[in-house]
Amino acid sequence: MTWLAELRAAALVGTARHPAPCPPAELGVRPPEGPSAEESLLDQAALADAVTRAARQPRRLDDAGLAEPAPPDHCPQATGEAARLLDLLLTQPPVGPELRTQLVTDWLKLAAASGVRVPHSLLPPLLAVAGTRPSVAEHLHPAIGTRGRWLQGMLESDQGASASAARDGQSSETGDWAELAGTDATAELERLRRIHPATARTLLGGHWDNLTARERAAHLATFATNLGSDDEELLERALHDKAKGVRDTAAALLDRLPDSARAARMAARLRPLLRLNGMLRKHLEVGLPPEPDAAAIRDGIPARPRNGEPDRLARLDTIIRGAPLDTWTSATGRGPASSIALLKGETRILAAIASTAAQRADLEWVRALLEDRFEPRLLACLPPPEREERLVRYLRSGAVQAFALVEPLRDLPRPWGPELAATVLEQITAKSGGQLAVMLAGILPAALPPEAAGQCRQLLERSDDDAARRRVLRDAVQYQSFRQSLTEAFL
Amino acid sequence: MGRWSEDRVAGAAPDAASLAAARKLARPGPWSETGSNDVLVWGKCQGSGKTPYQVSVDLAAPAYRCSCPSRKFPCKHALALLLLWSRGEAADAGTEAAGFAREWAEQRADRATVRERRQSEQPADPAAQAKRLADRLALMDAGIADFSRWLADLVRTGMASARTQPYSWWDGVAARLVDAQLPGLAEQVRTMGSDIHARSDWTDHVLYRAGRWWALTKAWRMRDHLTPDELADLRVAIGWPVPASEVEGAEALPGPWLVLGAHRSDDGRLQQQRTWLRGPDGTVVVLLDFAARSEPLATPQLAGALLDATVARYPGSAPQRALFTGGVGTAGMAQTLGEGSSIRQALNAESAAVASSPWRERHPVLLAGVRVCTGGSGWLRDEAGDALPLVDAPLDSLLALTGGHPVDVFGELEEGRVRPLSAVVGNTVVTP
Repeated sequence: MTWLAELRAAALVGTARHPAPCPPAELGVRPPEGPSAEESLLDQAALADAVTRAARQPRRLDDAGLAEPAPPDHCPQATGEAARLLDLLLTQPPVGPELRTQLVTDWLKLAAASGVRVPHSLLPPLLAVAGTRPSVAEHLHPAIGTRGRWLQGMLESDQGASASAARDGQSSETGDWAELAGTDATAELERLRRIHPATARTLLGGHWDNLTARERAAHLATFATNLGSDDEELLERALHDKAKGVRDTAAALLDRLPDSARAARMAARLRPLLRLNGMLRKHLEVGLPPEPDAAAIRDGIPARPRNGEPDRLARLDTIIRGAPLDTWTSATGRGPASSIALLKGETRILAAIASTAAQRADLEWVRALLEDRFEPRLLACLPPPEREERLVRYLRSGAVQAFALVEPLRDLPRPWGPELAATVLEQITAKSGGQLAVMLAGILPAALPPEAAGQCRQLLERSDDDAARRRVLRDAVQYQSFRQSLTEAFL
Repeated sequence: MGRWSEDRVAGAAPDAASLAAARKLARPGPWSETGSNDVLVWGKCQGSGKTPYQVSVDLAAPAYRCSCPSRKFPCKHALALLLLWSRGEAADAGTEAAGFAREWAEQRADRATVRERRQSEQPADPAAQAKRLADRLALMDAGIADFSRWLADLVRTGMASARTQPYSWWDGVAARLVDAQLPGLAEQVRTMGSDIHARSDWTDHVLYRAGRWWALTKAWRMRDHLTPDELADLRVAIGWPVPASEVEGAEALPGPWLVLGAHRSDDGRLQQQRTWLRGPDGTVVVLLDFAARSEPLATPQLAGALLDATVARYPGSAPQRALFTGGVGTAGMAQTLGEGSSIRQALNAESAAVASSPWRERHPVLLAGVRVCTGGSGWLRDEAGDALPLVDAPLDSLLALTGGHPVDVFGELEEGRVRPLSAVVGNTVVTP
């Protein structure tokens, strides 16, 4: 045992139970004669303290583990007012968290547009904000520049996130895909679907037979992104699958392809069920489907359960969802709007048609259905200007509960057009609009166009007891003025 | 006095909330009758009440006064006024000082003269002074004797049993040391009361620390044989400070002084600020500022600034504690901190310093061409491949500023780790 270890042991249990050691001769110290055991131990502790502190050695770090330094930044750094404003937003935000997020995003976009980058010293707080706010994370590039990308890499590798390499680089080898574990493989496939749907298809097709049922279902579900008629072959193959989960996923995906063979088969099943009725052929009668045959069961129509009655309406729903929508128009000989009129009162059938139209984003049918009913998912299919126009109409007419419009309003691209902005402001400043104001609080400041700032200011000056509403308006005014300073700072 | 920079104003804020509130107030709207001269900035701020608050700031001290009821110093009004003034948006120089500001300044000046007169007029009674000193030494001797008995008990029963003691046990020992006028030792014992539970290397830590305390008690007993510098170091370690008034009379060293770096800490009871300076002849000194929890610390000096000031040094071994003997002006910014050393050289210098002043725990180092590396709490690595672990360092900020390239770093060596306080990046001194 070394001297230090002896000393440590004696100190730990106490000199009452463990004698103090003698200092090593190499240190060249001569212990004084005759002190007690305690004094001797304390003397040696003092010696050990001084020796340890005077003999500190640096550690060695190998070249091998060293990360490459950051390559130079070619973009100029943001200076002056622009840098000051970002610093303010990151370190002492003068606005609430939602507005801050929006303003930081605005800053990044403006910086990207003017070709400047974030000052190096502000990268850490910016990345910290991006860590919790996806909308900031999305706009980091190119504003954070080379140093920012490098820093992201350093911090990620420091946290040992090795999977990140597969995520950011295009370089990930598709050959390695089979090696990835379940959820990572799904994530990688999802990434590929966004950029190269065909590669993802070939990849999954090639490995299909080696995968577990759960993996097949999860991987196939990623085909919802960029689904096209090229995917039909693999989906048809999946319809034969042993596992119900895989079959259901394939059927749900094929529901979105009205030109597929399965859609044609569904059309053939739907057509005989439709019959125009009544004296003036004013009603479209829809019959119930017969007991499904093997081919129908394979296409996803529920078979007869072991006991109890089969759910025939559910079978009908499946057929409607799979069949092309023009089956209806060809059966009635009229357009979508009139066909819908013929189905008046058939709520379940109309609901199935609506979900089919929404899934396929069939604009003709979506528009016709929206005349009949309000459904956010239908509205979401329309191009933004048309959506805005309809939202203005809904808000003005009061036909739809304003709260139901919050979601569609959130989904609209910002800023809104002047007309929508004016209508919304009108609604929230109406007597009962306080609650709507609160629900829109997070998005309103950025959604209002700059021209609306003046109106907000006027509204704010009007006396109002509703503190929440005042806060929303004040946020809007604050956002606009800060945003104005940002724009000027980048001029 | 020159106009303050906005950073300097921010540094004067007692907390972030005050600064945020001040930023909201820092627009011309609520302000009236603002003005400034060489030493004063003043103005009136319309608050929620009927009469506007009267705000005055003495830039030289610095001292703040505001008629608002806030208990923060400086309050948001004073900060907002300084912000406006630092941006040149209000309080332009040249106007006659407002009545309230002038009155306040005169009162302060009067009080200061009265205090000075009282001090200088106080009849020095050598006999009484000698008796006070003898009383104090007797008290300290008894305290040291008591403390060495306690240390002997500590090692007789062992560190393991000391670890089972509650915090109040350590606190009791510390309280006795305070009564014996040994506050420096008391502070160390109190810290040990939490360190013994918090640290993974507690066995060695307590052992070495007990050894150091033991050596202190022995050094105290032979204090008559110590050199003046050694005695001064010992006095710092046990907490018998040399009064600032004695230091002010000492030889004043002229500047310009380069601010190497500064560190602020807050242990919950006391805020401390250390500022390391280097003079034109290479002398390194450290300024210490203390403030109770709720009070503001002195405005921090910006790393890399060249200060036009003279300092007087406390007795003790280098690097000595120092204080400014007059006003402080800024004489520009340095582009570099000077010639640094390798990590091995820095550790050798530390060893030499331990030999001459065994009570000092912190050593300033300027490391040349070190790279910031990740892993654990981070590392600094020099060209030779030697490395030191970082302590209290914002690793992400260091990486962002340096990009992993070799840079010169100034910091404090402490228990084999380095606390970086400033770095030189592209001809600018930056703080992580």
